[in-house]
Amino acid sequence: MINIKDIEKTYQNGKIEVQALKGVSFEIEEGEMVSIMGPSGSGKSTLMNILGCLDTATSGYYSLNDQDISQASEKELAYIRNKEVGFVFQQFNLLGRKTVLSNVEVPLIYSGAKKKERIKRAEDLLVKVGLGHRMKHYPNEISGGQKQRVAIARALANNPSLVLADEPTGNLDTNTGEEIMDLFQQLNDQGHTIILVTHEHNIAAYAERTIELIDGLIQRDVVA
Amino acid sequence: MIFETFKIAIQSLFANKLRTLLSMLGIIIGVAAVIAVVSIASGSQAQITSQISDLGSNLINISPGISSGAGGQISRTSADIFTLDLGKHIEKNSPNVKRVVPTSSASGLLIKANNNYRATIVGTEADYQVINKYYPVKGMFFSQYDVDNSTGVIVLGTDLVEELFPDSEPLGQSVKFNINNSTQVFRVIGVMEDKARGLIGDLNSQAYIPITTFMNKVSNSNYVSNFVAQAVSSENAEMALYEIEYLLDGYISEDDEYNIFSQDQLLDTINSVTNTLKLMLIGIAGISLLVGGIGIMNIMLVSVTERTREIGIRKALGAKKSNILFQFIMEALVLSSVGGIIGIFLGGLASYSISQIGGWPFVMSTLIVLIAFTFSLFVGMFFGIYPAYRASKLNPVDALSYE
Ligand SMILES: Nc1ncnc2c1ncn2[C@@H]1O[C@H](COP(=O)(O)OP(=O)(O)OP(=O)(O)O)[C@@H](O)[C@H]1O
Ligand SMILES: [Mg+2]
Repeated sequence: MINIKDIEKTYQNGKIEVQALKGVSFEIEEGEMVSIMGPSGSGKSTLMNILGCLDTATSGYYSLNDQDISQASEKELAYIRNKEVGFVFQQFNLLGRKTVLSNVEVPLIYSGAKKKERIKRAEDLLVKVGLGHRMKHYPNEISGGQKQRVAIARALANNPSLVLADEPTGNLDTNTGEEIMDLFQQLNDQGHTIILVTHEHNIAAYAERTIELIDGLIQRDVVA
Repeated sequence: MIFETFKIAIQSLFANKLRTLLSMLGIIIGVAAVIAVVSIASGSQAQITSQISDLGSNLINISPGISSGAGGQISRTSADIFTLDLGKHIEKNSPNVKRVVPTSSASGLLIKANNNYRATIVGTEADYQVINKYYPVKGMFFSQYDVDNSTGVIVLGTDLVEELFPDSEPLGQSVKFNINNSTQVFRVIGVMEDKARGLIGDLNSQAYIPITTFMNKVSNSNYVSNFVAQAVSSENAEMALYEIEYLLDGYISEDDEYNIFSQDQLLDTINSVTNTLKLMLIGIAGISLLVGGIGIMNIMLVSVTERTREIGIRKALGAKKSNILFQFIMEALVLSSVGGIIGIFLGGLASYSISQIGGWPFVMSTLIVLIAFTFSLFVGMFFGIYPAYRASKLNPVDALSYE
């Protein structure tokens, strides 16, 4: 499903160059649940952003579902972000002026779904993540754990094959974090491929495979 | 999709009502100014035009030329050619002229018992009524008989009656006219109708006597101040003008000057002056509309910067470049079109009120409303595109990490 080869990413800020990824290669099969670990600044977020098509690699090869992403046009990338990848962020990134329900509707608007369909789908997803009773609330009226559930529901809107989560429990307490991980576990059981970044071993333990990055390179890639 | 984008635009404009209103203000004022300027200018122009055509578009005014004499003094060099005979000569020999009416005027004190009033006294002939479409409401105007016999009769404008005969019947009474320390007595035989104040002055405060009486008793001269010739029709006015010029050139010596102009020429001059004025004012109003557009751009740029994160989130969720571009252009268009509509409404209201005060017809052409509205849309579009473009080309990661 995912195949990357020699992915490099160099940030250029004026004269200063930072090489965040120095040649990363791996394959991930459909239905896997993979965690990515590593010290701060090792390039985890950089890698996730490239996998999620939010950013492009400086060099290297990336294919997702047999499509060569390194050659994809901007329009194709937008389509992939919309349909094939669901991204969950550490900071939730909900739209504050929209209700919980409307937030989940956003990807469906961009995929061109009809109003009725959108509402039905968004409601179903919110019920699924356990927020059926908070649909008309605004993001600032719900807890952090609930926000992350909304974000997960939103990531699932167009039923993407791949779900990416960059430190999804980073802003949550241990109990809430575990509840969120149970949700990811459930999604994986239902067939979604899941890649998540975490600092915590007990969170990483939910995944059967762990890739460890150090200083822009893969240090370890172990299957439990 | 268009509807969704429209909804997104409306929602984000509503989220910041005060700012939205402020950014619309430029457009509102600009459009209102354009509408009001055009409407007021057209209304007052229509009023002037109708006043002039009320006078009859077939009238031609002939007066002695003025040239500067010795010692910087102004002397009317050709005045002594303007005899009553000249008028008869033109009337007889110009086929396109129907009639020629002489007029002379002087100002002095009209006195009745304890009431007196500074008035203009006009010496003329009976046809003065026809030419000015101005008739007595009481009694009658003097006739050719009075002119031929230089009788001492007078016809008063309505204002004069109010001043001199506040509570008595003027007909048959005598009034005194005092000019240059000599006093003449006239018998009132008529009162003229009330005529709206027009371009040729306030007819209501004038009094009318036979031209011959004027020459004998008031001006003590053999000459008149000017002639008004009426062409057989307005189509023939131009021809009549040439005929009169031809006749005058044969009648007077080369050094002598005279002025001649038709009502049409007057109308043309006034129209071209008001049109220039109108264009200038529209230009100024247009500039304020442009400034309004810059205001929109300013707000849009702030809004793009402020919502960088929102743009990043939308892109991460699958928004295409075109979706973002469209969303911000739509916002600019909604701003400028709502501003435009409010502006049209306010501009219409302002010009209506001003037309009521100024007493001219309320004119609001659909064309100018359409032009102003289209222009405001164009301004919004033009100044909205750049910020929208900036928003659309943001990289999703960069936008997401924007603090
Ligand atoms: N936009 C950027 N411009 C310049 N350098 C960057 C940028 N983003 C990341 N970096 C650098 O790239 C390296 C990798 O950053 P990255 O965010 O991928 O680390 P990370 O593993 O996610 O760390 P953390 O665990 O703290 O989130 C760091 O040295 C960071 O300073
Ligand atoms: Mg990170």
